[in-house]
Amino acid sequence: MIAHLAAPETADYLTEERGIRSWLLTTDHKRIGLLYTFSVTFFFAVGALFAALMRLELLTPASDLVDPETYNKLFSMHGIMMVWFFLIPSIPNTLGNFLIPMMIGAKDVAFPKLNLASWYVFMIGGCVALYSMMRGGVDTGWTFYTPFSTIYSTTYVVGAAAGVFISGFSSIMTGLNFIATIHGLRAPGMTWFRLPLFIWSHYATSVILVLATPILAITLLMIAVERIFQVGIFSPELGGDPVLFQHMFWFYSHPAVYIMVLPGMAVISELVAAFSRRAVFGYVFVAFASIAIAVIGFLVWGHHMFVAGQSVYSAMAFSVLSYLVAVPSAIKVFNWSATLYKGSVSWDTPMLYAIGFIGLFTVGGMTGLFLAALGIDVHVTDTYFVIAHFHYIMVGGTVMAFLGGVHYWWPKISGKLYPEGLARLSALIVFLGFNLTFFPQFVLGYLGMPRRYAAYPPEWQALNVLSTAGASILGIGYLLPLCYLIWSWRCGPPAPPNPWRATGLEWQTPSPPPKHNFEVTPVVRRKAYDYEGMKEELRLV
Amino acid sequence: MSSPEVLALREQYGTADQQREISTIGMWIFLATEVMFFGGLFAGFAIYRMYYTQGFMEGSAEMEIVLGSVNTAVLITSSLTMALSVYKTSIGKQFHTYLLLLATAVLGLVFLGIKFTEYYLHYQHHKVPGIWFESTSPHSGAIELFFVYYFCMTGLHALHMIIGISVVVVFAIRTALGRFNALYHTPILILGLYWHFVDIVWVFLFGIFYISGLHR
Amino acid sequence: MPEVTVSPRIYYLTYAALLCLTLGTVLIGYLDLGWFSMFVAVAIAAIKATLIAAFFMHALYEKVMIRLLIAGALLWFMILVTLTMSDYITRSWLPLPGK
Repeated sequence: MIAHLAAPETADYLTEERGIRSWLLTTDHKRIGLLYTFSVTFFFAVGALFAALMRLELLTPASDLVDPETYNKLFSMHGIMMVWFFLIPSIPNTLGNFLIPMMIGAKDVAFPKLNLASWYVFMIGGCVALYSMMRGGVDTGWTFYTPFSTIYSTTYVVGAAAGVFISGFSSIMTGLNFIATIHGLRAPGMTWFRLPLFIWSHYATSVILVLATPILAITLLMIAVERIFQVGIFSPELGGDPVLFQHMFWFYSHPAVYIMVLPGMAVISELVAAFSRRAVFGYVFVAFASIAIAVIGFLVWGHHMFVAGQSVYSAMAFSVLSYLVAVPSAIKVFNWSATLYKGSVSWDTPMLYAIGFIGLFTVGGMTGLFLAALGIDVHVTDTYFVIAHFHYIMVGGTVMAFLGGVHYWWPKISGKLYPEGLARLSALIVFLGFNLTFFPQFVLGYLGMPRRYAAYPPEWQALNVLSTAGASILGIGYLLPLCYLIWSWRCGPPAPPNPWRATGLEWQTPSPPPKHNFEVTPVVRRKAYDYEGMKEELRLV
Repeated sequence: MSSPEVLALREQYGTADQQREISTIGMWIFLATEVMFFGGLFAGFAIYRMYYTQGFMEGSAEMEIVLGSVNTAVLITSSLTMALSVYKTSIGKQFHTYLLLLATAVLGLVFLGIKFTEYYLHYQHHKVPGIWFESTSPHSGAIELFFVYYFCMTGLHALHMIIGISVVVVFAIRTALGRFNALYHTPILILGLYWHFVDIVWVFLFGIFYISGLHR
Repeated sequence: MPEVTVSPRIYYLTYAALLCLTLGTVLIGYLDLGWFSMFVAVAIAAIKATLIAAFFMHALYEKVMIRLLIAGALLWFMILVTLTMSDYITRSWLPLPGK
């Protein structure tokens, strides 16, 4: 690596203004990305705490660590925290906020004040949710099914629902901002098909954020109305239908899982290209696959309701559509794999996470096809099979992508380099811990262990013990990066502008970037991932 | 307070036209989210209406058609004054803009007044679910469900009206203070989009709640 | 593109049309159309909404993208309604109890 002559002593986005006011009133998308990073890390820790308690309880067959009522609260609050306060905002609001304007050559997002407002709204929602958890929590499951949530539960349903409702507006603001930014603020020459695939995936994510989240909002509002006024919108007393709640809830919540995974895919596209030093194979296919996932993802929600009482014909239609939605995801996996072929592959930490993602997401996705088959679903629905399936995608997928992305862009964000050896070890620990935690759960689910149960028959204890052991290893794997990344921010070696020698406008700026990203708006003449064309340029970086 | 010239071109934009265009797109995207927000309630109403046609028609018969029709006319008129205020500000006639915005706000308040009168009448007839609901019809369950949707949907609409009226008043004051001119009046433009959308929602609410019970 | 300016004449014409359609909705309500009256009421409301969007909101004069956005929002709403409805409509098709 050429010794980097430090940029002249101009301030970067971290040092240009100082003091707590400059952070809490900032409109700089990079600082807002960091604010979100602190928030989601905190909420992840809260959700992980609930998970730890659950796994400790499940070490023994009897419900002896906590009673069943408390266990109900634990899995509910784990789900609520992880879904709405970690997974949905994680990549879009941290990496997306930081990188989208830079990748398209803009100085900021379209509506910077709206961006800051979205963080405050998110924090208020989080505080409301945390408050209801401290007042005793909610025990309905993160899915709030009626009529239990509206009539029979004695816990803080309205409080938890209110927290989620408020944070939903943060999602909508973010999606709106990203769509307007990507449409309107691209630098001259940055045509749609020169955009990094990170942008395409986040655009698709934003479309889902904008169209699906309002349905969640109105559904939560309706259960609050039903609970407060004791009127039967979704309850049989007045002729209401509980399945209607499920239709409305899953109309949002299925696209929501694509909100959670598309940004992960966005990161992987960037990592695979950079660490194979090749353009992503089949760029156009991958770009349109993102859009296809977003669109088809809206048509499959009934696969969560196969045994709920919807009509068989409806179930058949949703089953076929669910098979269809796997196709664009598979296209992406094939294309990422093809990118590696004849590429110059290096095994830096971000690449370890990326390869891990591809493998684990494939397992998660294929088990989704098991679930989409009506006959199999009747057997494994509401068992640990489903839990393993979505954790392979959410944790094996999204969280790995998040960690990979954080490591990859860490030099740009912090201006420091993280310790590579320790980071690779942590990635390995995460991978091993993850598989030990969740693979036994596929077996448990197939054997029939129901989800959301605090107690289980003794013959399943061995598998549960394996799972809990894996969870503790996974926890260590997550704690290590938290420690060494913070350490590197303070004491790590300074990073050059382009430590990975990657293409992309974000690498054309100093590390860390100045407040306005680009002194002069760049003019784009190259296609995306032009490793061939930029060989000389990148060699000299 | 920044002058219109400064506000017309913030630093992340290349031209004032670009800024105005993107602000417009931003508001349209927000309105798309509102379509889905109200849409969830419209969808639920459609399904229950299909199941409980008779009960829902009886519920509809309880509506005050005269008040509803007058309200519709009032709101459409307010849309006219809003559209005209956008026109006037774009050609630099700020005083007319100010008057038309005030007229829009006043008409909005008239709408709310009539709406709350209707609510009070429903209360007097014991048709408010969760608070005071009585019905002797064999379809009383369906009628109560009808009224749950009625109050939720018109209530949500009224909330949007209250927010809209407040912003209209604020913008009227800002117009009077000279914050807008022919070059920069984007806030009024996008407020107009919001106001017309709220009118569109009412047009559909009027259609689904008031009409099917008229023939009795 | 520069700002769209629509002449007040168009606004007044639209306003008149909207008032006429409102009157029409009410009058049609008094006819005995049974359950069909709901379709007619919604159809007339849709025409009024189109007029408001096209002329008051300038949708007719704006870039194609805006009209695509509107179409998209409407399409998504229709997905919600029709796919959910299809469950309720087909529930009685199988001669099994509860199905």
